[in-house]
Amino acid sequence: MDVAEIISHHILDHDWGVVLGGMRMPVTTHSVTIAAVSIILFLGLWWISRRHESRAGRLLTTLAEEYVTFIRDGMVLPNMGAEGRSFLPYFCTLFLFILSVNLAGMIPQMKTATSNISVTAALALCSGGLILFSGLKFHGPIGFLKGFVPSGTPAWLVPLIFPLEVVSLVIKVCVLAIRLFANMLSGHMVLICLLLIIFIVGNMHIAAGAGSLIPAMGLEIFMTCLELLVAFLQAYVFTLLTAIFAGSVIHTH
Amino acid sequence: MEDLLKPDYGVMILTVCNFLLLVYLLKKFAWKGIIGALEKREQQVADDKKQAQEARESAEQLKRELDEKLAQITEEAAKKMAEAVRVGEAQRDQILAAAKEQSERLTQQAKAQIEAEKNQVLAEVRGEIARTAVLAAERVIRQQISDASAQEAVDRVLEEVKAK
Repeated sequence: MDVAEIISHHILDHDWGVVLGGMRMPVTTHSVTIAAVSIILFLGLWWISRRHESRAGRLLTTLAEEYVTFIRDGMVLPNMGAEGRSFLPYFCTLFLFILSVNLAGMIPQMKTATSNISVTAALALCSGGLILFSGLKFHGPIGFLKGFVPSGTPAWLVPLIFPLEVVSLVIKVCVLAIRLFANMLSGHMVLICLLLIIFIVGNMHIAAGAGSLIPAMGLEIFMTCLELLVAFLQAYVFTLLTAIFAGSVIHTH
Repeated sequence: MEDLLKPDYGVMILTVCNFLLLVYLLKKFAWKGIIGALEKREQQVADDKKQAQEARESAEQLKRELDEKLAQITEEAAKKMAEAVRVGEAQRDQILAAAKEQSERLTQQAKAQIEAEKNQVLAEVRGEIARTAVLAAERVIRQQISDASAQEAVDRVLEEVKAK
């Protein structure tokens, strides 16, 4: 197994080979991770919402309310205005879901599903759908399409501006997926490469391998801390940009 | 490595379904309760704040009214005090005038009484002198033995009169 194969094996999704009625089921490591994270999130938040009187219950309820306030006052209301209130559950779920999936990769035997382009593309599709829905909800089909052309644009420029603006929105949504995917993938690639240093150097000479252990592990710990930061940062960026794009179609030029 | 960018549509569809289902379930069973409780508490805080503001405004209004009343009462008290002082001064002048008049009247009465008593005393003295003179004359007549004795008798009578 060469280095590229080791890295691929560590990063790539693994199909579990489940076939139902002759049809391949998308049961992979990443999809199972996503399902597990979703179940844990649902059960945890459902338990918190039942407002237990225990000390832990009160603490978690307070944390959940602070979290909702953070999403509402920090992302949704400033970018979408009062119209964004109805989308608050979506944004609360989005941030927590991306963060949990990002962090799941830090748990041994689990994978970072957001380092899979199919997963981030799916999340971007959902966000794109929300942007489209909010535009249609508040402006109607015609008003939504009109919103792509800034007011005061000369009539002869409209055929040029309109497709540009539509493509711009589509690219923005695609970039959401690529940004999250690239950030999470690169972090994990760096982590596995740092670990491989020990084995590559160890293959040359066992003493050199032992000598590289401490610096490699130091770098590994540093990168793990950085990955934790990136996990929070990317969840924040994805949610914030979704709110900004949705706000831009609600409050047009 | 080229598999990294190869989309797995099955995983994509499953992720979309999984995520949308999670959004729906959390909205229905978790966020509704959490957001509802949060908004309820925020509303309560806002109401309490509004009530406190109203109570403060009411207290300030009451204070303004009480200040006005106090100023009015102070003014009335000052007026009444001035009136009382004026009435008191008038009464004092009246009393002083009455006292003066009475004292003058009493003085006049006393003078008249003294004059009457003096006159009475003088009349009594005169009567006494006359009686004494008669007595002296009587004694003179009785002691006409000598002028010297008569003269002595008269002097003695006069001495007695003086002594009285």
